[in-house]
Amino acid sequence: MDRSRNIEWIIIGIWIILTLIGLVAIYSSTQGPGSEFLPSGIQDNFFKQSVFVAASLVMFFVILFMQPRIFQSASYAFYLFCIFLTISTLFIGVEVNGAKSWIRVGGINFQLSELTKLATVMAVSAFLSGQRDIIGDKIGPALVVVAIILFPAAIILFQNDLGTALVLVGLIPIMLFWSGIQYGIALLIISPVVIGYFTIIAWYFGAVVAILFVVLIFLVQRRFILTAGSAVVGLAVVSSIQFILFNILQPHQRARINVFINPESDPLGAGWNVLQSRTAIGSGGFFGKGFLEGTQTQLRFIPEQWTDFIFTVIGEEFGLVGSSLVVILFTLLLLRLLNVAGMHKHPFAQMVTVGVVGIYLIHIVINLGSALGLLPVIGIPLPFVSYGGSSYIANTLMLAVCLNMWHHHREMSIYAG
Amino acid sequence: MFDAKKIHIQTSIRVLQGIIIGIGVIFVFSLIKMQIFEYGKHNPQSERNALRIEYLDAARGLILDRKGRIMVSNIPIYSITVTPADFNWSNLSILSDLLETSEDELKNIIEASAKENRLRPARIASDVDFATFSRVQENTWRLPGVSYQVDSKRSYDHGVMGSHLFGYLREVTRDELEANREFYRLGDFSGKSGIEQVYEKSLKGVTGTSLQRVTARGRSMGAYENGEHDVIPIKGSDIVTTIDMDLQSLAETLMQNKSGGLVAMNPQNGEILALVSAPQFDLNKLSGRLDKKYWAEINSDSNRPLFNRAISTRQPPGSTFKPVMGLIGLDLGIITPETRVFCGGGFVKGRLYRCTGKHGPVNLEEAILHSCNTYFFDLMDKIGTRRLFLDWKRHANDMGLGVSNGIDIPQEASGIIPDSAYFDRAFGTKRWGIGDIINLGVGQGVISMSPLHVSLAIAEIANGGYWVQPHIVKSVKNVDGTVIETNPQKRKIDWIKKEHLDVVRNGMLRMVQEGGGRHFAKLDSFLVAGKTGTAQNPHGNDHGWFVGFAPFDNPQIVVAVIYENGGYGSPSASPIAGLLMEQYLYGRVKRQHLIDYVVNYRPVMTK
Repeated sequence: MDRSRNIEWIIIGIWIILTLIGLVAIYSSTQGPGSEFLPSGIQDNFFKQSVFVAASLVMFFVILFMQPRIFQSASYAFYLFCIFLTISTLFIGVEVNGAKSWIRVGGINFQLSELTKLATVMAVSAFLSGQRDIIGDKIGPALVVVAIILFPAAIILFQNDLGTALVLVGLIPIMLFWSGIQYGIALLIISPVVIGYFTIIAWYFGAVVAILFVVLIFLVQRRFILTAGSAVVGLAVVSSIQFILFNILQPHQRARINVFINPESDPLGAGWNVLQSRTAIGSGGFFGKGFLEGTQTQLRFIPEQWTDFIFTVIGEEFGLVGSSLVVILFTLLLLRLLNVAGMHKHPFAQMVTVGVVGIYLIHIVINLGSALGLLPVIGIPLPFVSYGGSSYIANTLMLAVCLNMWHHHREMSIYAG
Repeated sequence: MFDAKKIHIQTSIRVLQGIIIGIGVIFVFSLIKMQIFEYGKHNPQSERNALRIEYLDAARGLILDRKGRIMVSNIPIYSITVTPADFNWSNLSILSDLLETSEDELKNIIEASAKENRLRPARIASDVDFATFSRVQENTWRLPGVSYQVDSKRSYDHGVMGSHLFGYLREVTRDELEANREFYRLGDFSGKSGIEQVYEKSLKGVTGTSLQRVTARGRSMGAYENGEHDVIPIKGSDIVTTIDMDLQSLAETLMQNKSGGLVAMNPQNGEILALVSAPQFDLNKLSGRLDKKYWAEINSDSNRPLFNRAISTRQPPGSTFKPVMGLIGLDLGIITPETRVFCGGGFVKGRLYRCTGKHGPVNLEEAILHSCNTYFFDLMDKIGTRRLFLDWKRHANDMGLGVSNGIDIPQEASGIIPDSAYFDRAFGTKRWGIGDIINLGVGQGVISMSPLHVSLAIAEIANGGYWVQPHIVKSVKNVDGTVIETNPQKRKIDWIKKEHLDVVRNGMLRMVQEGGGRHFAKLDSFLVAGKTGTAQNPHGNDHGWFVGFAPFDNPQIVVAVIYENGGYGSPSASPIAGLLMEQYLYGRVKRQHLIDYVVNYRPVMTK
């Protein structure tokens, strides 16, 4: 079979289009008519991102044609290397925006935690694919998986980088799913997060969702203990969150949660970002206000617009057409990557690919969720679109690794156990 | 086993793909909801966000004298502003040191304006002196959010004080703001007395608006759509008054250190040439940043400087009323020019009503010349006993006495011309007698007038029997060049006859040429006619009056002066009127020494 057939042009195409959309949005938010009032460092963002993109392009194709073998064999070393660097960052790191998660190499700041995500996914995949039999109820491997993920997450939390830590924690259910755990148990593991989300909005929403989970778990796996367990977990989550909200949280913390539910309660303070970002996206209408014409964007109503709120630029200036295109492109990218994962015979390649999809998915959900006001605001970049060298390079690296393994999947399958 | 694993994985992938599609659908639906269904809410919001209405204050109109000379103008003042959103609270103490105000006061102002709008600069200190202004300017580099703004305030440094003419401005109250939403904004000033109040709408002009594109921090990014929707401010109209600046200035000088009021009027048309109430106050101190101490001072001063004695005071006119009495007596047919009354030192009716001397048999002209009380007691007695009291009142009212005459500044008093009903109310039915009526004949008792009334009555005698509406504003000059003339009224008082006027006028002429007015009111090349008066004051020294007009054959000016507690009218009030007529007719004061005399005059005690 011709090798070029195994190069995923669809994925590469989507990657390039998203990158270009990102560059346009970064240009608009840092080079527009109002940009003269931005700090000069930020005015350079478009140029810097272009350099990162160019460098990544080279890196992408270098990695694409590397031997895939080294990924699996180097997984643990890469993981330990990243853990070592992450710990060192606690001591020699540079603080940016309150997070001490950057190291300075030759005048350029790198955010190590971006790389740690890939390292963690690879380590988990290496571990799971090393297990002879990953099907069954064995709790041991699952605990190791959780440990491999939580260790870097804890360090990163120490660095005050909540967003990245959340991404890692979010990986746990996805990777466990793949460790061969039963669906019922997997659902049980995810249920607290989902129930918790709805309970914060209103306790009865949480209760309804908890009941839905119980029913679902019963239908999937007709096991009484599991079903009863899920009911207990649901009840515990709803009641403990209620308890925490009204008895443990300080008034100002409660206010922050209130703002998520009702941003109008503090329009100039904590609710500002959400309200302004909604206004920006909503005022884009169907076709958008046009490139460099978004008033919310050009008049700096939204902070950090080139990174965490980049989607508001697209929403305002390119409207429903532009913003839904981004959503559709991401959906296609992830679906296609999962298809690729499904076709892999080699478990390591498969799990790394799914893990990478998981990382992208969590980024996309949190980023778009924040911009659309569906989630509390957590600062996290949108893959390939947001400004940020470390993030762009790390995301491209992950994509390159996935595509490399697909490109070489026949050779890899030779090692498949 | 291997197949089971494969199926498990394939299913998992499908589930994950399902979840991803679900999330994608949720996001696209959220986008449709926000960008299509809520577009009508979000888009106007984004426009409101991005636009700010800047109000451009229109320059207030000037107040000019009859020759177009500026009496009231505007000067720039500097205000220190703070934009609450940009302000660094740790700088509060630095700022309070620079402004020399307390931190608490400053904090309150900034917090209050933060509630209004965190992104708009708010004045925290207006009309600061130059030293403070430059102190703050030198430090703005370390005071983010602190800036300045140039406003304007009224300036009265043109030679006339005009405290009771122009009036002062103050910030509009909440109520005014609510009542005139279109016209005023918070922090605007409006006229609170005088011409500023009456001609507020003309003087204020039209506030302009400019739509600015602004950043989230409130920084202006220039005009919205090239200023297409902007409204250019229209400067307030200039008010051309009838005041003669030189005359007004002299009148103010002469009224220094006194209590009283004066009105100088053109008898032919009612134009006010000068109007002074003393004590005066300094409008400059009420302009811009209010001098609170001064404001409290003039409000609590027992001499009531804010009270406009020229038009609001109610004092018995004393003998200045005698010419009017003569006219009414002649018209009521009680006396003729030839009627003589014997004055032996007083008039007896139940008791003795004292005269100033023993004048023997006097006719009307001589009675005015000598200011003979007996003649007018007798006349008033006849009016009372012949049941003509009400006719007397109506005649006086026709001349504008006991009524208000529509001068174009506020607080005009109508004065009192009593009738039986009035006495019944004031003293009780049957609790008054002919004695109360007799006293009115010499302008004493329950009768009161302002200098404006007295000047108007004498103006009617001077101009041949025409009531003229006293007025200060001649025209309103709009910015577009159009001039709107005011429309003061003038009407013949039908019962006043020329032959009667001649007698009274001759009496007044002789009064100045050979009688009590000759010392100070007589001019060398113009014939002046007039009448002195001394109003009895139970609370202290008597009030001196003088009213006169000139030139006798073609009267151009009438001046009425009351000098409260000034004693006899001749030495106290008549030199003031004399100097004013001199200034107006000659264009300068020839008797400079007389100015010193007036300024340094110490009243002679009448009791």
